[in-house]
Amino acid sequence: MTPALGVRIGSLKLRNPILVASGIIGYGQDYERLVDLSAIGGIVTKTVTRRARAGNPPPRVVEVASGMLNSIGIENPGLEGFLEVKVPILRDLTCAVIVSVEGEDTKEFCELVEGVSGSGVADAIEVNISCPNVGPHGLKYSTDAGMAREVMSAIRPLTELPLIAKLTPNVTRIGEIAEACADCGADAVSLVNTFIGMAIDSRTRRPILGTVLGGLSGPAIKPLALAKTWEVAQAVDVPVIGMGGIARPQDAIEFLLAGSTAVQVGTALFADPGLAEACVDGLVEYLKRMGASSVDAVIGALEVPEGRGAIRAGIAERRTGQRGGR
Amino acid sequence: MNLVDCTVLENRELSAGNHLLTLTVPRGFATPKPGQFVHLRISPEGEPLLRRPYSLEGFVNRGGVRAVRIYFSVVGRGSRILASQPKGQRLDLIGPLGIGFAPKVRRLPILVAGGRGVAPLLFLSRTLREKKRPYVFLFGARSKGELYGVREIKGGRVHLATDDGSVGYEGSVLDLLKREVAEGEHTPLTAEIFTCGPHGLLHEVADFARVRGIRCEASLEGPMACAVGACRGCPVPLNPGDGNGRYPAMCVEGPVMDATVVDWARLP
Repeated sequence: MTPALGVRIGSLKLRNPILVASGIIGYGQDYERLVDLSAIGGIVTKTVTRRARAGNPPPRVVEVASGMLNSIGIENPGLEGFLEVKVPILRDLTCAVIVSVEGEDTKEFCELVEGVSGSGVADAIEVNISCPNVGPHGLKYSTDAGMAREVMSAIRPLTELPLIAKLTPNVTRIGEIAEACADCGADAVSLVNTFIGMAIDSRTRRPILGTVLGGLSGPAIKPLALAKTWEVAQAVDVPVIGMGGIARPQDAIEFLLAGSTAVQVGTALFADPGLAEACVDGLVEYLKRMGASSVDAVIGALEVPEGRGAIRAGIAERRTGQRGGR
Repeated sequence: MNLVDCTVLENRELSAGNHLLTLTVPRGFATPKPGQFVHLRISPEGEPLLRRPYSLEGFVNRGGVRAVRIYFSVVGRGSRILASQPKGQRLDLIGPLGIGFAPKVRRLPILVAGGRGVAPLLFLSRTLREKKRPYVFLFGARSKGELYGVREIKGGRVHLATDDGSVGYEGSVLDLLKREVAEGEHTPLTAEIFTCGPHGLLHEVADFARVRGIRCEASLEGPMACAVGACRGCPVPLNPGDGNGRYPAMCVEGPVMDATVVDWARLP
């Protein structure tokens, strides 16, 4: 018997927990000959901003050890362009569509959520408060719990769609940001966005990326991403969508074990366009092998040996301590 | 465009660090045009992480064998691994990708190649020959040993240049172009330029063509992540006034582009 793979993110039912991350396959069209969308849970679109963005100057990508640095800068057609050009494409996709949005301020986030919600094409909205490549405003809502509350509280009343807050790992205590988002109406949190990174050409004595700094993704960040995912899964009761360096089906399973209800495949899909489908197949095999009837048997099923929760406890204590001091 | 398995049929070092790789491809791989490229997984191990884009040197379709040819130089980690892949190694590639060269009917094509940039121009010269079209092939390299494929250029007029003077004109292929255009009295209505090579050379060729109003297509090179237009990781900067500040993606709006609109100074 095939194990049940369906999961819920708020009111959104996914046929399986394997998603493709934002910024990887655009709005679905470019990869239509390479990825079988009908086999996966859904896609998160390239982030839509209020106004069109040309993106950052080149170079925008550079490969580093087991990873990739990017400084794309959310090149996208803006909300109007999205509604006009991308919505008709998304309407025909055979999987769930999660539309990613990013605003420079709360007002823009509100306009984006209303616009995307009104388009009728989104099954959920991922609130990208964690892009490191769009200037100072990119990280302001995900590095400060108060700012996270502000934006989530403002957009929550504007839509019935599930809201997924996408978090940056570039913080000391990510659990606090996740809690703030969940408290203010996020139906789920997704993490991690990229880690801020840098590459230098010693020959020219110049930074390689056109923007000097960029975001690191790929297998290099998987252990870091797993740790953040686990930490957040301890901190909030809403579903967690984990990602960061998934390159094989067992990586996806590890994120589920760490407490993710769904996972997103990203950078490694560039090399292996069949990766998301392979993760679905690998998950089915894994569940069969363990005799599980449903994916629920894996989600958060990490077995931490007795007495080994010291670091986890340390995080919790620090958090509690800080709260008590306020 | 498709993702297809491929197998190394031959991987030969032709001169120091310069390799000709022949990869068999299945029927599902469409017949490519000169200037198009493939996004090749250079190792089945998943390391390096990203695929590498390579312009095609040619396409073989005879005796039931379909194969793409890639002429590449060892310049970094990826190409070093690719150089070590033995005959029989299975890899996979996405392709054919991108926009190729588009010669106009009534103009004399002048092909300007620098170093390993000769690859897509050899492909172009073969298709011109098949159509029995005359052309001029100007080819510059550092020295004689790097003038790959010269003997294969048939049906066109060939002029060579080397930096060290070991064969042909001693100096830049740009000088050959200047001489060709002057002596041939070529005009925007009678000739057009197709070029590939180091971006510094392409910049010079583009400036030369723009001043004279001669149409000029250049094949660009750069790192790519997805290579299908999705990730926007390979932006091509355009001159002020061209493109309204928009960055075309090299992978889908190139790699062959109108050389006179590219802002070469901002292209890495």
